[in-house]
Amino acid sequence: MHEPIFAACLRGAAAVLSLTRTTLDDAGTRRGKDAPLAYPDTAYELPVAFGLTDLRVATLADAGKVLDLAGTLVRDGATAENALDAGAATLLAADVLGALSHEKGNPYPPPAVGFVPDSTLRKLGIYLVDGSVPGVAVLIGKATDPAAAAAMVRQFQEIGLLVFLAGDVVAQLDAQGVKLGEDFKTFPLGPLPAVIHAVNFAVRAGLTFGGIGRGQGAAMLAYLANRVKAFVCALGPLDDIALAIAAGAMKAGLTVLSDQPVPEIPGLLLSRPAGDGMVQAGMEARGIKVKMVKVPIPIAFGPAFEGERIRKSDTHIEFGGGRSVAYELVRSAPPEEVTDREIVVDGPDLGKLPVGSVLPLGIVVRVAGARMQHDFESVLERRIHRIVNYGEGTMHVAQRDTTWIRVSTEAVEKGFSLGDLGLMLYAKLHADFENIVDKVSVSITTRLEDVEAGLAGARAAYAERDARARTLTDDAVSEFYSCTLCQSFAPNHVCIVSPERLGLCGAINWLDGKAGFEITPTGPNQPVLKGTVLDAVKGAFDGVNAFVRENSRNTVTEMNLYSIMEAPMTSCGCFECVLAIIPEANGVMAVNREFTGQETPCGMGFSTLAGSVGGGVQTPGFMGVGKHYLLSKKFLGAEGGLARVVWMTREMKEYLGAPLRERAAEIGMPDLVDQIADETVAVTPDALVEHLAKVGHPALKLPPLL
Amino acid sequence: MSVTLPIPVFPGRILEVTLPAGPGGTPVTVGGQNALPLLPEGEHPNAPAVGMEVPTGTLELPAALAAAIGPFAGDPVAMARKCAGDWGARFLFLSLAGCHPDGGGLSVSEGAAVVREVLSATPAPVIIGGCGDEEVDALLFPAVAEAAGRPVFLSYAEEKNHRLVAGAALAYGHGVVAWSPIDINMAKQMNLLLADLGFPPDRVLIDPLTGGLGYGMEYTFTIVERIRIAGLSGDAALARPILCHLGDAWKAREATDASEEAWGDVGARGPRWEETTGLACLGAGADLLVCRHPSSVARLAGAAWR
Repeated sequence: MHEPIFAACLRGAAAVLSLTRTTLDDAGTRRGKDAPLAYPDTAYELPVAFGLTDLRVATLADAGKVLDLAGTLVRDGATAENALDAGAATLLAADVLGALSHEKGNPYPPPAVGFVPDSTLRKLGIYLVDGSVPGVAVLIGKATDPAAAAAMVRQFQEIGLLVFLAGDVVAQLDAQGVKLGEDFKTFPLGPLPAVIHAVNFAVRAGLTFGGIGRGQGAAMLAYLANRVKAFVCALGPLDDIALAIAAGAMKAGLTVLSDQPVPEIPGLLLSRPAGDGMVQAGMEARGIKVKMVKVPIPIAFGPAFEGERIRKSDTHIEFGGGRSVAYELVRSAPPEEVTDREIVVDGPDLGKLPVGSVLPLGIVVRVAGARMQHDFESVLERRIHRIVNYGEGTMHVAQRDTTWIRVSTEAVEKGFSLGDLGLMLYAKLHADFENIVDKVSVSITTRLEDVEAGLAGARAAYAERDARARTLTDDAVSEFYSCTLCQSFAPNHVCIVSPERLGLCGAINWLDGKAGFEITPTGPNQPVLKGTVLDAVKGAFDGVNAFVRENSRNTVTEMNLYSIMEAPMTSCGCFECVLAIIPEANGVMAVNREFTGQETPCGMGFSTLAGSVGGGVQTPGFMGVGKHYLLSKKFLGAEGGLARVVWMTREMKEYLGAPLRERAAEIGMPDLVDQIADETVAVTPDALVEHLAKVGHPALKLPPLL
Repeated sequence: MSVTLPIPVFPGRILEVTLPAGPGGTPVTVGGQNALPLLPEGEHPNAPAVGMEVPTGTLELPAALAAAIGPFAGDPVAMARKCAGDWGARFLFLSLAGCHPDGGGLSVSEGAAVVREVLSATPAPVIIGGCGDEEVDALLFPAVAEAAGRPVFLSYAEEKNHRLVAGAALAYGHGVVAWSPIDINMAKQMNLLLADLGFPPDRVLIDPLTGGLGYGMEYTFTIVERIRIAGLSGDAALARPILCHLGDAWKAREATDASEEAWGDVGARGPRWEETTGLACLGAGADLLVCRHPSSVARLAGAAWR
């Protein structure tokens, strides 16, 4: 169904080529073949030829060679490939035509500016690199409704896009009173063919800012496609020439949006009515995002307030925490189902309620993004805790359907509303997950029946997520993630985070690592291919070994994921608890960071043990781990698993609670948790062994550790 | 009996970076080594270079500095000529701290004018430092990049503003100093981020943040040493020349407090403090030192034998 369009592109390209050839020949006759040909104020000759071909153009004769080359790109046959190449030919020819027309400077009457000089490119280019100009919009053709076109350009200007205009829209917008010119980053180039100056601007951006040299055509096309976030809005009927130019834009990976019923090519050619829908579609197709610099809410908002507690007496209103039904949920959805920045509050809001109110609450955040994955929902959802705590006068505890939120009287007096809460979530999720989130909407309800209805759905989502988490096993995935965040103080330490062994700090699990890599591809979380399984029980993988070797700068050459005795994982210093061998008891003890006592069966308290464990060195028999690792099926696989744990602080036993008992039951030792000693039972090896013998702890029957 | 010394052979080599000079000036090239500093082994094609800071704006100079550079306060052009001339600085670090709202409040265009004047007054290689105020620097770097008629280095690009500074440098062909707060990961990430923007690696210097003696110098020492060992060990993103700005040495009370007579002549203490900080940086692996006192230039240059 695209053939007619492709055929039109070929006809258009031929028309532009022939027009250019005629114009060039005329100029040659008039001025001589060796007469100079150049745009004013540029170091890049004819930029399109400079960027895409290795032809040097200084004279009219040189330009002839560019046309010869362009001619070879226009081939018979209405295929996509031929159409795109014809598009490239059109751009090459149009740039020659553009340069010819600038023999005596800008050929167009005001407000049209013609060719945009390098000096302007440099100034504006900085802001394109910087991201403060988030993208480029090119508006061409003739608007059916000039007011709608004017609204689009004003929208571009508000977003801060760089705008190029070509065709009848220039006069139409001028008549509509749209502000034009460099101060508004809006360049009325001239009639339709002058759109080439948007193209040669983009090409020069690649030459100046992309480190691309003359004639590196493939690199230039890649730069235009990946770095220059530009889209073309074509208004009005598309003739052959307009289509040929559009094909050129598509060849460079740009998205072309037409208000005509054209057959779509996903990502490249879209049909949308002129107006907001076209703007949104263009920005979305090119991944242009608008940053919120300051969150417009009546309370202060930032990490400084994270630790703030709101006491009962200062609380204006609270939600959840056992006092009412409340939940929070992050769901990903296809982009067409999420309206960015849509914040809906349904039900009673804060200002109208008396001090001491308790209300039900349902928070549903919907996110969409090309790189968003269902797996990241939990990562974003956990961030709600921190974001709400960032507010001065808002406090958040727990998660999911146990969430508990308090808002202080002071915040409510300042005018804080639930809509502001939504805005906080909106802005911060965008900022923190910039690379994976394109759209965020928040819906908040405080009506009991709605919350209850939503809760049922949320619980189904949590259950689905938990089921998925259970299928995420070390055996099932092909890559783990590294965390080298702590190398700033433990230079050779590398954490390997697998689905069944979370980071020793307890703060990073495998999904966090995965999301972390998507968010900052150059950051501390890198994928680590497992490679060949060298020993499934010990957790030895040649891919892990290679990664650790390289990133520990050869100080750690082997690392077994599930062993404490043989090449154990190193520790930085952030571990939640320390495991230490008790040779007499043929087992290990676990002591958590919060434990302040100095008396443990190994003779050392947490802080003394920590000193011998940290710093990125392997110390067989000693290891820092995250608390939840004790619940893992891969916990100390090499040494017999949970049955090896002979001593654990009371606090840890309580913290791990029911899941620890479940895990013990799972391995057929339902009494294990009670058999494990704590500081109230034994603090010396002798007393410990005596206790273990008395209760029949399984560790005594395991093979010797040493 | 003979003893064979265990001489390490590193697989990596530090990238050579050149600070270009104006017509008639001498460019400064650093890097290119494949061994640790101040040791006889390995190749060290370029000795570390010592430069001087040219300040702008309101200055509250400690006694020792007032005596040495006081006469040039408020005249960056004369100061630049003196530094690059009599005092032997191989490059200049033109600090636009005067554009900070609290540091003199020069306007962005006045700052740019200072850059133009200094660059035309001396052909020495120049690094231009921002004022440290985020909002002002966001305008200052593009303006300075445009005003500088010959290639300079812009200092500094950090994680937050690296796109802007790198963009300004790319637009006009300058280099950048990539700053990180005593953090080897961030030092590496800065270089990866710049590479990701397509910034040429041979136009980047690492500034690891230099603490003065008694005020964090040991942290800097360790980070510089580790960056260098990582670079020599083959981590290309860290195999870059390192710049240490010794200005922090002048924040130490021991360097500037005249009331403590028992500590000796304050006029000598300050320069000694700066030199000691600089010597430690050289020992750790710094390739470029920026000092404030003229006497430090000769002494540190003498120590930087390879």
